[in-house]
Amino acid sequence: MRAMERIGILIGVFAFAVAALYGAWTGSNEVGFEWVGVIGLILGGLLGFMIAWYLWMTRRRLERDPSDDPLGDIDEIQGDYGFFSPHSWWPLFLGAAAAICFLGLAVGWWLFIIGAFFAVPALVGWTFEYWKGEHAL
Amino acid sequence: MVWLASELMFFAALFAFYFTIRGHEADLWAERTEMLNVPFALANTIVLVVSSVWCQLGVLQAEKGIVSRPAGSSLTRVAAWGMREWYVLTYFFGAVFIAGQVYEYAHLVEEGVTLASDPYGSVFYLATGFHGLHVTGGLVAFLLIIGRTFTTRRYTHAQATGAVVTSYYWHFVDVVWIALFIMIYVLQ
Repeated sequence: MRAMERIGILIGVFAFAVAALYGAWTGSNEVGFEWVGVIGLILGGLLGFMIAWYLWMTRRRLERDPSDDPLGDIDEIQGDYGFFSPHSWWPLFLGAAAAICFLGLAVGWWLFIIGAFFAVPALVGWTFEYWKGEHAL
Repeated sequence: MVWLASELMFFAALFAFYFTIRGHEADLWAERTEMLNVPFALANTIVLVVSSVWCQLGVLQAEKGIVSRPAGSSLTRVAAWGMREWYVLTYFFGAVFIAGQVYEYAHLVEEGVTLASDPYGSVFYLATGFHGLHVTGGLVAFLLIIGRTFTTRRYTHAQATGAVVTSYYWHFVDVVWIALFIMIYVLQ
């Protein structure tokens, strides 16, 4: 996890440095200061720092990450990685409902409302699939 | 987290959009920013920031595995609140924020600023509107998280993880609003 953290920091530092340079260069010519690139670069830097910060927080919580140990073995990292749904039909329904909603934005609000009637049960169904009934966790 | 980072770049586009158009339309900006109700927006911002605090208090309870106040405990005993009570409170604060934004939009539309009226209207509604949609999405997520707490007898680790992830999203949306507030209402 340390290596991933450093990659995030590297992205952040690089983007901030380039933002400063870019701002100085565009600010000194006659066309004037260029906002799009400067803001994009600054927030791009925050993107790197945000991921690094999250990884750092996670690392502090975990006892030890075998990927940080140069003498670690592959099998040390075994264990539960999370819950993975074996199969679910809900994403298909939700995707179809979302497609109707977005079509509604182009065609008219009436279609969007019809789509919402399908989207809400699909979203609720998906969220609660593993919390109720025979598959409950 | 990676998805939140990509969301950051989405809002970066909106920020850049605002400043670019602002640079080209200085006169229009001077005229339109007069119409903004800054004290009202500030109050609304405080509501959203405070909602983040309630959300974090809910997370602390979720991490301890306390889903709700013990049976028989009065709702007024805030110290005994679990994650559910704090999240309901967060939901109310978020809903007030959205209501405030709708009120603000209604006033601006009355004064003739709409999405299609001029460049200022376009950037104002796109930037604040996309943020508003994110807050609304967060509210839906809160409802689902709160609803889920009623389905299990025991508060599981998976439940707590869902609550924590939702809080990350909520804090992110809150921070984006602070930046938007500074851009639109303070810097104008």
